[in-house]
Amino acid sequence: MIAYIIRRLLYTIPIIFGVMVVTFVLFNIVSGDVSDQIAGKAATAETIKEIRAEYGWDKPLFMSWDSQFVNHLKNCLTFRFGRSWSDRELIITKIKQGALPSLSLTVPMFIGELVISISLALIVAFFRGTIIDVLSVFVCVVLMSVPFLSFILFGQYFLAFKWGLFPVYFWPDLPLPEYVALPILIGIVAGLGGNLRFYRTVMLDELRNDYVRTASAKGLGTASVLFRHVLKNAMIPIITQVILAIPFLFLGSLLLERFFGIPGLGYLMIDAISARDFQVINAMTFIGAILFVVFNLITDICYSIVDPRISFE
Amino acid sequence: MRYCLWVILLLTAGCRYSANNPDPNDTVLYSTHSAKVRGLDPGDIGDVTSTIIASQMIECLYQYHYLKRPYELIPALAEDMPSASKDGLVYTIKIKKGVRFYDDACFKNGKGRELKAGDFVFAWKRIADIKYLSKNWWIFDNKIVGLDEFRQYSKACKTAADVDYNTPVEGLQTPDDYTLVIRLKKPWPQIVYLLAHLPTAPMAKEAVDYYRKDIINHPVGTGPYMLKLWHKGSYIEMVKNPTFRDEYYPSEGEPNDANNGLLADAGRKLPLTNRLISVLIHEDPPQWFLFLQGKIDVSGIPKDNFSQAIDQRQRLTPEMRARNIKLLNYRDPDTYWLGFNMEDEVLGKNLPLRMALSCAVNREKYIELFTNNRCEPAYGFIPPLMSSYNPDIRNIAQTDYDVQRAGRLVKEAEKIHGGKLPTLTLAMPSADAVARQEGDFYKSCFSEAGLEVEIDYMDWPTFQEKIKTKSAQMFALGWIGDYPDPENFLQLFYSKNASPGSNNFNYSNPQFDAIYEQVSVMPDGPERDALYKKAEEIVVKDCPAVFLLHGVAFVLSHDWAYNIKPHAFAYGTSKYRRVDETKKAAYSELLRKLK
Repeated sequence: MIAYIIRRLLYTIPIIFGVMVVTFVLFNIVSGDVSDQIAGKAATAETIKEIRAEYGWDKPLFMSWDSQFVNHLKNCLTFRFGRSWSDRELIITKIKQGALPSLSLTVPMFIGELVISISLALIVAFFRGTIIDVLSVFVCVVLMSVPFLSFILFGQYFLAFKWGLFPVYFWPDLPLPEYVALPILIGIVAGLGGNLRFYRTVMLDELRNDYVRTASAKGLGTASVLFRHVLKNAMIPIITQVILAIPFLFLGSLLLERFFGIPGLGYLMIDAISARDFQVINAMTFIGAILFVVFNLITDICYSIVDPRISFE
Repeated sequence: MRYCLWVILLLTAGCRYSANNPDPNDTVLYSTHSAKVRGLDPGDIGDVTSTIIASQMIECLYQYHYLKRPYELIPALAEDMPSASKDGLVYTIKIKKGVRFYDDACFKNGKGRELKAGDFVFAWKRIADIKYLSKNWWIFDNKIVGLDEFRQYSKACKTAADVDYNTPVEGLQTPDDYTLVIRLKKPWPQIVYLLAHLPTAPMAKEAVDYYRKDIINHPVGTGPYMLKLWHKGSYIEMVKNPTFRDEYYPSEGEPNDANNGLLADAGRKLPLTNRLISVLIHEDPPQWFLFLQGKIDVSGIPKDNFSQAIDQRQRLTPEMRARNIKLLNYRDPDTYWLGFNMEDEVLGKNLPLRMALSCAVNREKYIELFTNNRCEPAYGFIPPLMSSYNPDIRNIAQTDYDVQRAGRLVKEAEKIHGGKLPTLTLAMPSADAVARQEGDFYKSCFSEAGLEVEIDYMDWPTFQEKIKTKSAQMFALGWIGDYPDPENFLQLFYSKNASPGSNNFNYSNPQFDAIYEQVSVMPDGPERDALYKKAEEIVVKDCPAVFLLHGVAFVLSHDWAYNIKPHAFAYGTSKYRRVDETKKAAYSELLRKLK
């Protein structure tokens, strides 16, 4: 197992290098020069030149030990992303500050969505072919068809503004759990349709297997068949879905954060995109890629734990 | 413990939300900002949101009178208005004695020290220091004797730390701690307006040395409020500065101000509110809901909620009146246009084509569709709130909406062009839904007149780049006046300011240039006003743009917020505003009754 992990870690080196090359090309070559934007209105050529020097954009792109590319590699590997040009704040500080608000929104949303959709999927799969199953499919399709923004506007208008069940928006004297409650609820409801459909299909595939009939024939109860046998065997697709979704939790939720005033990483990203703050976008992309690679590795390790048929060899 | 989300979430979710009971002695003014505060270092502030926030904490030499119209400057940190030499080249300004920076860790023992004339010199040298990379060098560029040389000196320094701020600048002298003498290269009558502009605020050297690059997060000023908490990307809280100088609410204003209750607090010491909280809200729906819930004291009206707030006769709807909401409106100092690149081969040499484009746009329809009739049509560039506004400019420009005339002008234009006109391109500074609707509107207007125009949607930075490199043929843009002198608009057409400068039209007319050079050094007066009008006449006859509209702002306020009088140029106005917390607390009862 250790050999496998080491081998997989070695595989990540070219992947990470590839990410760094792609982000460099995207944000330092293709994206164009933002120095005149930094300089403000009526800036002189000399000011723009100084700005280019300050940010190291006057250095050669590749062919030097002090080139922009070598510095880009160094910055990424040491997580020293420098300062954002739009507000001169340290990028790593911005990311650290944004991570907790994002996670306080996305983690409960993710766990809630997972627990509810798997539980409902088991029930619906058990009642396959009945009116409950048909109704659930219908509701899932409806939920999947409604744009995410509509959930937000509906929730904010009716649940918060009209009926006063939740705060409309973040407010300074409110504790965090209060103002994230509604966005979490909206996130769970909006994501339920797709997840329930997916897990229902996974469960149905398992329920059609011979071992389920055997277990039932042996006299095992429904709960035992569903939770001890079906759920365990359905773990491979569930693990794939769950673990690979974790990196995205760190990146926050763009719309929910914006509409509910949660200063997370989703907001940071959208702000950086609108300001063409490529250094922030680069840092977020790089961190996202690292997380994705790491969680991919964790997924592979988990496969062998839940399914002994999968070997590290 | 604070983030033990699950337990608390289960306890709170679904419970009826109610606000905390306010303490009537702790008056708080709640407002919102729709863009992120980029930084609070006055020397590098270049955006409106940061300026509004920083202006509550940082003061300049001058400020605008809160109530008087037309807009008038009065001293803030200065003892009096500046005395200028006869040739207009030397300004002497006395600084108020006893004004203190508020307490901050950067000062000895954390106690704010007295403001001195040298703090202005330091702040302005800092803007000139090229290593500081300020966005605001345009203010002083080629204006003060010796300051450009200081900039060159800073350029020669290897690092920012090598720049010695003790290097003398001939045009900035401080004979004593309370006197500032400014020597100019040429007369610059607009200097007084710029001395009320936030980037020219004084800066304590101790603060810069102490906080270094982190100075963006630590404003150290002399203003009525000081920073308590800045939750980045969320909200900012300011509290009353206990060492604020003696400043009192004005006792005179416009004739109606007394009737409107705006003089009720005359003579009271400022600021009138203990705390200011400004919350960042990007989207219109939550901002509007919070205002209706009474959480925000003053608000604009989002486009989609306009009919809910204002009726056909531009008055408050019964729903708003039932909530005791008040309406205020005022003219914005702005003009919006579809600019033409006068260096473009097709447009630049073809006046009938430019006139045709201008006559083809139905301004009234645009205003109705996109602004809820919240604007006035523009035919020139000087906004109506300025004293030099020419009410006859519409007749002079002759660019009223007239499709038949536009069609005739297109035929003339084709003769000049020597055949069928090519498809023109209009650059739009955004690609969002509203920009696309606007683009479709322009396209249909031009098409009715027989002109083919392609709309090119792009993000703001790309748009700016296109304009600065003169590669946009037509562009949708505008200008918000920095100060109430039309010179600020005239400079947009001065040939020496062509792109990448502020003259995005790349317009050049020697007759206009001569007038601009003359008026830009002239003191205020009727002769200058006449020249401003003449200069505008020259421009509108050359038609370098489809002048579209001037904005009119609609502001709503709850009845517990007092002394609300919108100001087109002043930003640090929260010190005049007052909140009646008892009345505010009663609002929830009113809402219950209304339900």
